[in-house]
Amino acid sequence: MNNNHSTFRKIYLYVCVLQEQAKTMERKDSLSLLCVLVCVWTQATYTQGSTQVPEDFTPEPIVLPHFTSCRSREQETFRCWWSTGSLANLSEPGALAVFFHQNNLMPIGWQECPDYTATVENECYFNKSFTHIWTSYCVQLRATSQNITYDEYCFTVENIVHPDPPVGLNWTLLNVSRSGINFDILVRWAPPPSADVQTGWMSLKYEVHYRVRNASHWDKLELESGSQQSIYGLQTDKEYEVRIRCKMSAFDNFGDFSESVFVQVAPIPTKVSVFPMALLLVFGVVGMLFLLVLIIFSQQQRLMVILLPPVPAPKIKGIDPELLKKGKMDQLNSLLSSQHMYNHDTYREDPWVEFIQLDLDDACEKNENSDTQRLLGLTRPGLKGDDDSGRASCYDPDFLPDTEGLLAAHSEMEERHPLVSESSPSTPSPELAETPFFPVQSQPVSQSWINMDFYAQVSDVTPAGAVVLSPGQQNDTPSKNPVDKTKKEEEEAGKEEEHEKKMKLQLLVVDPDRGYSHEVIARQVESSGAPFCSAPEIAYHTLPPEPAEEPHGWHGEYLAPDGEAQMAYFLPEAPPASMLPPVSDYTVVQEVDDQRSLLLNPSARQSPACPPNPIKHLPSMPAVPVGYLTPELLENLSP
Amino acid sequence: MYSVLQGCLGLLFCSIHGLLGSALDCPDRDAGGTRCSISVEKLLDRAIQHAELIYRVSEEARTLFEQMFIPFSFHAQQSHGGHLCTSNIFPIPTSKSEVQQISDKWLLHSVLILIQFWIDPLVELQASLDRYDNAPSDLLNKTKWMSTKLMNLEQGVLVLIRKMLEEGSLELHNNESVTPYLLPTDMVEHVLRDYAMLSCFKKDAHKMETFLKFLKCRQTNRPSCSIL
Repeated sequence: MNNNHSTFRKIYLYVCVLQEQAKTMERKDSLSLLCVLVCVWTQATYTQGSTQVPEDFTPEPIVLPHFTSCRSREQETFRCWWSTGSLANLSEPGALAVFFHQNNLMPIGWQECPDYTATVENECYFNKSFTHIWTSYCVQLRATSQNITYDEYCFTVENIVHPDPPVGLNWTLLNVSRSGINFDILVRWAPPPSADVQTGWMSLKYEVHYRVRNASHWDKLELESGSQQSIYGLQTDKEYEVRIRCKMSAFDNFGDFSESVFVQVAPIPTKVSVFPMALLLVFGVVGMLFLLVLIIFSQQQRLMVILLPPVPAPKIKGIDPELLKKGKMDQLNSLLSSQHMYNHDTYREDPWVEFIQLDLDDACEKNENSDTQRLLGLTRPGLKGDDDSGRASCYDPDFLPDTEGLLAAHSEMEERHPLVSESSPSTPSPELAETPFFPVQSQPVSQSWINMDFYAQVSDVTPAGAVVLSPGQQNDTPSKNPVDKTKKEEEEAGKEEEHEKKMKLQLLVVDPDRGYSHEVIARQVESSGAPFCSAPEIAYHTLPPEPAEEPHGWHGEYLAPDGEAQMAYFLPEAPPASMLPPVSDYTVVQEVDDQRSLLLNPSARQSPACPPNPIKHLPSMPAVPVGYLTPELLENLSP
Repeated sequence: MYSVLQGCLGLLFCSIHGLLGSALDCPDRDAGGTRCSISVEKLLDRAIQHAELIYRVSEEARTLFEQMFIPFSFHAQQSHGGHLCTSNIFPIPTSKSEVQQISDKWLLHSVLILIQFWIDPLVELQASLDRYDNAPSDLLNKTKWMSTKLMNLEQGVLVLIRKMLEEGSLELHNNESVTPYLLPTDMVEHVLRDYAMLSCFKKDAHKMETFLKFLKCRQTNRPSCSIL
């Protein structure tokens, strides 16, 4: 024995040590406890060394016979069970008896159990005849031999009903989710066969439980009074266990659970359906991109216009910007002149240019047929062969004013400056025309220049072809004014320059009443003093009978019978009239020189001793008559 | 007591019958008068539905009351002892076999008697509950609802009686008053009395439902419904 004990003890100690060494986290406590207990036990046995029966440390309590439970399965019968307790003498069969009592209408009294179940120990069975619902029962456990009631239990039958479990539990698959992860099932069952549901004797309510297999927690569904119920949200990768139980409605006692049913649904691979969707999506996107690119490239211009609108170019109404670009001044001028807004300026600026142009155009054409020519009966050799620019040659000696222009100017003198003719565009030379304007405007005799005897009337033409001028009417020369004015403007502009030597003499003869074509006689005065000098004189000579005033007023360039007016036209400096030689009423035009200037009576030509005064004054003023320019003068004048 | 009960019921029945006569007087005419007639099956179904609802609500009301006002110790005692709820005014079948043996007429009459028995006590119960300080509104609503529905059920059962049994009126020979026998006399406290009333009413509602369902079953002529 001792050897055995010692070996046992050694073994156990060895095991303890091993266990102590091999501690894991989870089982540490239990192992150590077990080890301690075993060690203690071996020690105890070893120390005692004998097989003594350990004493009872705790006295066993005496348990009296009592009812354990009473149950009814179908509300038609019921059973009661009891236990005999710990008393030895009562555990013999027949020592105890059950008596029951019903509280019904006819109290009978205590009756003994109608049926002691033979097969089951300590069970009393009450059959249908003894089972009454809606009545309260009391059962007592009595000793047969003694008058001792160990236990009493009162109840009503419907309160002790525990229905049998439902039968026929099965499930069907309702659906699987699109992702294949979840599924729903429909669970069906049948009421327990013992329960009479059809007659309504028992109305049952069912409770379905389910859980993942071998899990610890059951999920419950709501009580269902029908015979089927759905379970939603199960997962395909798990196996489920389903069971059911039932109870009477309006009571609390559930019956036993049915047999479990296992549910599992294999996950359906759904990747096949995903693939075509992805492909479709990709194709759709690619197609749309392609379409977009196509649209952009085909409509590039329009898109550019829409996205980046062009900056509007400067635009003048009615004028093509192309003209502005390429410097087509002629067309531009014509356009601009046709616009009212520009008329004033152009008129203001370059009346003489228009005038010149007009003169040129028409004068050149009319050269052969000009009245002057006819009057003079001269042929100018150089006229036709003049290879100057048509403009210059036309203008130069023989300024034939444009009949239409002057007439127009005459007729519209109120509207604008009379010297300006409308029809031709002007070239820009603003500075020439402007300054003498104002003196003209401020003329007290704003219309008096109309009345100037600046023009001589041709009264007769000599057989020799000379024009005989007569003192003309003083009111008939309205149209000369624009010419005068333009001349003056020219003078103003170019006075600092080389005009000392050059002068243009212009004689404008207008007789609108007689319908004479007015003539502008311009004579280019060379630097030579004599012709220079004489020109004014001659001009003066040709002036109408008022000699007093001065051609000086216009500094020798204009024949102005009315000196005051002329002076006002012209420049500030007015040569004293006394400096000028006396002017005769008229001068006979002898010939027209090759430069188309009318040569007046040579006898009337000046003496060499022409006072230089007129010439002196000349430089102070522009030698160029306003409105008239020869090409040379033009070149000199233009900056 | 039985004669008193019968007298009361007779009075009630006569008055209600007059009302019923005006409200539900819709002769079963096959030709042209089918508009307001209802088949027995449908009427019975409706009556069963009413009874089921009343039973369910009575259970809920009783549970509510028990949780609020009844101490646990007494509750345990009650479940063991039960109540002397209704004095057995007339023999009521208490087992399935007894119900199977009983006739339709007797079933209907039993239902009607039960219904008429409980109309007034429910009103008293409602008044008593209103006097409570902290009675939950749910409980009060339930009791009100029960009394209303009970009256509706009564009307339906009367029509059923008239249709199924082709009886004009019912005479009850119960002259005894019901109330003293409703409860044990030693229960003085209002709370216990009201709890006892609720429990008893639940039991009687169960009876009504069961009887009506049996009647329904008998309409289908199933063998298990009746032994007769």
